[in-house]
Amino acid sequence: MSVTRRRPSAKVLTYAVLTVGLAAWLVPFAWMALGSVKTQGEILQRPPTWWPENPTGANFAAWFDRLGFTTYFTNSLVVAAATVLGNLVFCSMVGYALAKVDFPGKRALFVVVMVTLMVPGVVTFVPLFVMVSKLGLVNTYAALVLPFVTTPLGVFLMRQFILGIPDSLLEAARIDGAGELRIFARVVMPLCGPPLATLGILTFLSSWNNFLWPLVAAQSESRYTLPVALSLYSTGQNATDYGLLLAGSVLVITPILLLFVALQRYFIRGVATTGLK
Amino acid sequence: MASSRKAGASGAPASRRRRRQAIVAWGFCLPFVAVFTVFMLGPLLGSFAMSFTDFTARDIRTPFAVNVVGIDQYSALLSDPRFLRSLGVTAVFVVVGIPITMLVALALALALNSGGGRLVAIFRVGFYAPVVTSIVAVAVVWRYILQPDGLLNQALALVGIQGPNWLQDPSWALPSLILMAVWRNVGTLMVIFLAGLQAVPEDVQEAAVMDGAGPLRRLVSVTLPLLRPTLLLGAVLISVGYLQFFEEAFVMTRGGPLDSTLSVAYYTYQQFGFGQYGLASAASYVLFLAIALVSLLQFRLLRSQDS
Amino acid sequence: MRRTRRLAAAAALVVASLLMTGCGRSDESAAGPAEATALGSGKASGTVTLWAMGTEGELLPEFVKTFEQENPGVDVEVTAIPWDAAHNKFQTAIAGGQTPDMAMMGSTWMTDFGSAFATVPTDLDTSGFFPGAVQSTQVNGRAAGVPWYVDTRVLYYRTDLAAAAGWTKPPATWDELHQMASDMKSKAGAEWGIRMPAGNDSYQGSLWMPLSNGATLTDGSKWTLDTPQQVEAYEYYNSFFTDKLSNPDTDISPGAAEADFVSGATPMFIEGPFMRSQLAKLGGEGFDQKYASAVLPTKVSSTSFSGGANLVVFDQSKNKDAAWRLVQWLSDPKTQVSWYQTSTDLPASQQAWQDPSLSGDANLAVFGEQLKTAVAPPANPTWTQVAAAGDTELEKIRRGQESVQDGLKALQQQADAIGLG
Repeated sequence: MSVTRRRPSAKVLTYAVLTVGLAAWLVPFAWMALGSVKTQGEILQRPPTWWPENPTGANFAAWFDRLGFTTYFTNSLVVAAATVLGNLVFCSMVGYALAKVDFPGKRALFVVVMVTLMVPGVVTFVPLFVMVSKLGLVNTYAALVLPFVTTPLGVFLMRQFILGIPDSLLEAARIDGAGELRIFARVVMPLCGPPLATLGILTFLSSWNNFLWPLVAAQSESRYTLPVALSLYSTGQNATDYGLLLAGSVLVITPILLLFVALQRYFIRGVATTGLK
Repeated sequence: MASSRKAGASGAPASRRRRRQAIVAWGFCLPFVAVFTVFMLGPLLGSFAMSFTDFTARDIRTPFAVNVVGIDQYSALLSDPRFLRSLGVTAVFVVVGIPITMLVALALALALNSGGGRLVAIFRVGFYAPVVTSIVAVAVVWRYILQPDGLLNQALALVGIQGPNWLQDPSWALPSLILMAVWRNVGTLMVIFLAGLQAVPEDVQEAAVMDGAGPLRRLVSVTLPLLRPTLLLGAVLISVGYLQFFEEAFVMTRGGPLDSTLSVAYYTYQQFGFGQYGLASAASYVLFLAIALVSLLQFRLLRSQDS
Repeated sequence: MRRTRRLAAAAALVVASLLMTGCGRSDESAAGPAEATALGSGKASGTVTLWAMGTEGELLPEFVKTFEQENPGVDVEVTAIPWDAAHNKFQTAIAGGQTPDMAMMGSTWMTDFGSAFATVPTDLDTSGFFPGAVQSTQVNGRAAGVPWYVDTRVLYYRTDLAAAAGWTKPPATWDELHQMASDMKSKAGAEWGIRMPAGNDSYQGSLWMPLSNGATLTDGSKWTLDTPQQVEAYEYYNSFFTDKLSNPDTDISPGAAEADFVSGATPMFIEGPFMRSQLAKLGGEGFDQKYASAVLPTKVSSTSFSGGANLVVFDQSKNKDAAWRLVQWLSDPKTQVSWYQTSTDLPASQQAWQDPSLSGDANLAVFGEQLKTAVAPPANPTWTQVAAAGDTELEKIRRGQESVQDGLKALQQQADAIGLG
């Protein structure tokens, strides 16, 4: 299905369609970026306009000067990094055990994991907070990270990918006398580049955009993450400061896009190194 | 999987090895099981228990001083026309939204699978971009697109169509939210499918080309079968998300107009807001049952036969 | 598979035993908040944690410095909470026993969380506040909070367009308001005459009509939402839609009302005091010359809905004494005036309105006038739920799917099922 092997005309057509599609796809971003340098009056103007008449940097300046952007950014980054790290390590360990090792209770564990994957989050919210406060973790980074440090989704994802690794590779290592830990670290993990990148992105994203839990678990502004701050300063009881909201959104989105750009290169390199062929 | 059992085929060392293996395996699972038990299983059982009681906001400081009401909350739910309506809305959202999202994502993944060029990279990032946005910001922008004199209707006017008032028209509000959900979720699936496509061996493709198979033939008889586990993963992921359809309705329409975008998750959220914890928990578990059934169905349909 | 079943059985057992042993509502009501005590005089000391929403949360840290100077031993720690999810935040905090010492509390939320609030000290005088505001602090027959700032809805109209439509005075009666909306459309070129409440909270927004028509929401033992006075009031509401003076599909997103007001598309609405600063922002220089606000037009009376926020002290607070002293300071008329100057929140203290910075502003005086008779939301924990049902029925009426009579009857049935709580 590779584009490169197609006839040139088909290739051109594909890219033409993709280009038009992408342009339409990104319209909301263009509007967001343009809106972030507009004043409230101009954003709400009817009918809506595209180009800012009097571009202003005030929305961005407010975030940095007045609203302590760096604190929230650091919090978000620390929490997301810890969450991602936890997921990469712990979920692949469980995924490996579920996919490649036989042990009593394995099937039950997998079923429980799958079942919790399907429980709507809103339902456990209050009991979860009660649990966290009983443990005395309220207003700590631990409270922000621990409930998400391993996720059923990550376990499921890693298991699916590790299932696809040929058993022969593992057998060879076993015959050489390698233990499970060694096989996991030396044979399985090096093959898991692409799924780890996927899991990393998914986890980073959900942590980065998580709003309700950090709000509830943090009891002081010094622990607020970016989405909480975004909501705090832009959305009032009766009014929304759209300029601040759009500028804040641009600031929230940019790091993740950059992260994706970086990992996306890794994806491509990953093809050669996976050894899945 | 059968091979790991083969490893210890003979006598006593085999059983010792198996015991060792079990200990090691549970060791691997230990961090997960610990976190999982405390932060998921516990709260889960708590909320499940709650759905059989008359727990309301008043009881929040004395959670054990409530009455057990058996399945009363469940029967109250099933006799609430708004809840039944929310089941219907969620079903439409899922049945229409999932196939569209998966098809678009698969098409993009196939088109962008090969080539390490800058252009392909730009496309991948571009189509992925909506995934990273927070819903609050997206909502502002999409309202401008969907309002009566908004961008979508301006574009439609160019080709002579007068568009409806998308978000305020009971028959167009849900389709608008489906469109928005597709936009937001295609990127996730595209990435997963791309990761899956990388596991499709090049030489199998090349062999098919040698045999004179056309692109469509190769897609149907080579790529898709090999992609089955990935498709399953994608389908499960997206349906878990879509069945919990909430955010779009919350920020764009608040379940309206005339409850035409009232999803089960939104209904649950409302009941929580009213302090009806028992009822809200019951609603969540009805939704959970639906998700479990749909996932089971998908497993049956897409389970790869060759493994 | 066998193992799975065994696990499920074990889980069921755990749940069942949990239910059997732990639960059961005791006959006598659970130990409620402690009796009110006297505050007496003295200085506040120790740390006081305070949660406040949005703008108030942003402005308070600076504002309470005066209090900290007057009470050298005290340290006030303010945490700002987003409005978006403040309700969730309080819900979980109370459930987890992680409440602050005190908080700002929306007046419609008092009953939702009332049992977690301490009773106001007997010597903290609230007699000088607007009656509607004091009424909103009453939960289960006790004072669970002290009014802080108030909010009520009045009529906003574009004076320039009104003049073009032949109106130099605000409408005094319901008929005049209807006529004026009609003239705005036919003579002044407005797209719609007036914006009538739609969307979320529309029921609450429309309450001024039944309230001004002599209707009440409860008779003490049940909801009274489909009485003849109610029906007549909502027939009036509906007439704006059937006569095409109000847009039933109006954009309900934040900012839309003021945008349409500034552009002149919809030159009248009934809104709270926050609109003043929004209009100043949106309309720019000189826009305050183009509009005025007025007391709601009269039917039987001119009665608006009273909102705003109270100050509450949590029952679990370890430093109630200092918290109440801060409440006392914040509700002092002098402090209320300077808080108005800081935040533009309207003082709940009637005495504060004598200050020239408030009494000198004609548009503001309208709010002061309206507040004297404004009525607080019903003090029933189920009110939010009933109001949400009201939103749904109003939407059906507005879109012509249901007659007013049938809509209110359906609402009454739902309200009866929900109960007074």
